[in-house]
Amino acid sequence: MEKALMQREGYAALDEYTSADLLAVAAAREVREEEVVFAGTGLPMLAIMLAQVSGTSCKVIYEAGTIESQSRSLPSSVGDPRCVTGCSIASGLLDVFDQLQRGRIDLAFLGGAEIDQYGNVNTTVIGDYLHPDVRFPGSGGNSDINSLSKRTVFIMLQEKRRFKEQVDYITSPGWRVRHWPSGEWVHRRRAYGQKFAGGPTAVITNMAVYRFDEESGRMYVDTIHPGVAKDMLQENAGFPLDFSRCRGETVPPTYEELDILYQVVDPEGVFLAKKS
Amino acid sequence: MQDKQCSLKEAVQMISNGSTLTFSGFTIWRRPMAVIFEMIRQGKNNLHLIEVNSGSHSEMLIGAGAVSIWESCWIGHELYGKVPYCLDRKMKSGDITAEDYSHQHILYRMQAGAAGIPYMPTWASRGTDILNPEYDMLGKAGLRDGQNPRIPRQKYAFVSDPFYGEGEMILVPAARPDVCIIHAQQAGEEGTVRVMGQTFSDAQAAKAADKVIVIAEEIVPESYLREEPDRNLLPSYLVDAVVEVPWGAYPTGVYGYYDVDGAFLREFASASKNEASLEAWFGEWVYGVESHEEFLDKLTVSHLMSLKANGYHKYSTRVKRGVK
Repeated sequence: MEKALMQREGYAALDEYTSADLLAVAAAREVREEEVVFAGTGLPMLAIMLAQVSGTSCKVIYEAGTIESQSRSLPSSVGDPRCVTGCSIASGLLDVFDQLQRGRIDLAFLGGAEIDQYGNVNTTVIGDYLHPDVRFPGSGGNSDINSLSKRTVFIMLQEKRRFKEQVDYITSPGWRVRHWPSGEWVHRRRAYGQKFAGGPTAVITNMAVYRFDEESGRMYVDTIHPGVAKDMLQENAGFPLDFSRCRGETVPPTYEELDILYQVVDPEGVFLAKKS
Repeated sequence: MQDKQCSLKEAVQMISNGSTLTFSGFTIWRRPMAVIFEMIRQGKNNLHLIEVNSGSHSEMLIGAGAVSIWESCWIGHELYGKVPYCLDRKMKSGDITAEDYSHQHILYRMQAGAAGIPYMPTWASRGTDILNPEYDMLGKAGLRDGQNPRIPRQKYAFVSDPFYGEGEMILVPAARPDVCIIHAQQAGEEGTVRVMGQTFSDAQAAKAADKVIVIAEEIVPESYLREEPDRNLLPSYLVDAVVEVPWGAYPTGVYGYYDVDGAFLREFASASKNEASLEAWFGEWVYGVESHEEFLDKLTVSHLMSLKANGYHKYSTRVKRGVK
């Protein structure tokens, strides 16, 4: 669509939003009505609060122990008292992790430092685990939440060094994983057997939206964000991207979504810095 | 009746070098920071931390050279610092053995400890390198020989579900800490604990440990806590020491009392990038003050008041959190 037409339709133009804005908006659009969503710390909290304020009637669980949270002020992490506002139950980890294992979670909304073409995520270490270049925070609940939810959406920044052919360490399982104790590489379905619930269905970055072929387990490009060229996307990935199923451009944010983001969700600029 | 009330210094003297410790809280929320600083001043060493999740408090203990084993699933400063530089350096120098579990795994380890059973089964985190036997670091260090009662003989075991035939389960060993240090909003004179807001994994941590030290924002009459027993977390007989330390979890945040001081944590995270700046930070904020009271004076009243929680919202509405 041309710029003038898009603007008449309520969509912001490329110079009116940041890539972080589009990342939050695209992620929020993944949330379906009535879903039980388990959200991790950081950008997932921004996106889930945008979805909630925009009117998606999802049930939000935060990892530290709040159920059906309805924050009015954006929490900076899941232990924040801001998570407790309006929730139906404020409890603790055992409650939410038990519910997760019981199969009650529809959507996992998570971040990641590195990802590979099979959706395996690493948040533990850069380099050889036994002789690391840099130690990262570790799994937290990422591996559990992703492994036991029906769908996982990863929200992350895209750089060549973060989009790898194979991650140095599988913190959180994708579609092709190692089955322990043998260590054999298998499809996620085999590793989980009767407890298979689903897996990563989307990766939302500041440059594109990716989805997965659940048979081959491989990631493909679904939509590319406006202003990002194919070769630029490829330059920011460490493995050959599959464009064969690309549907075109990601729908940009609407003015209404941007208003909600900056006026209601994050007016303090905890995660967002407005485009000047 | 035994008087459990004591000073902060006395409570910290109850913690022996070489102990296995766990704490209340979650990442940068409701951590017993006054105890952490006093432990560093008293020169505690050779500690084994086993925590459902870790955070700034452990980065400080590790940076001060107090820790030789760290078992958890996460360490960092949340939004205020992604890289745990102290753990990173001590791992590289071989001064610390770090064992990674997933959050659910280590939560269930603590729950098994609390329930008095040797292990718990789980389905979580299959297909990850957390389960890779090559990465059993306590095993590699030769510490799984059964000599240390706090270290299980295996990192994991696998067993086929004998009841419903649902497949192969992961077994995680119980966590059995010597001491749990809790920071709570209120405690009774005899030790009954009230935690407000999210209780995180405090109940599991306290019940798994042999001894419990409670630091409270306020000590209140036991009779007051019994007016609403549904709001209490631990009975007094599980608690060994009680200390009243207002602002004792600062710079981490406490529901209903004060927010996290993000700027302070960011300064620590930045100072922790190298030994020289870390030493300077400890010199100024830990070794350079005699007591918690002196620490608070140094922070100034107006600074602390900016973090004070709003009575209705339970968090500060005046703290500057973002770029605006």
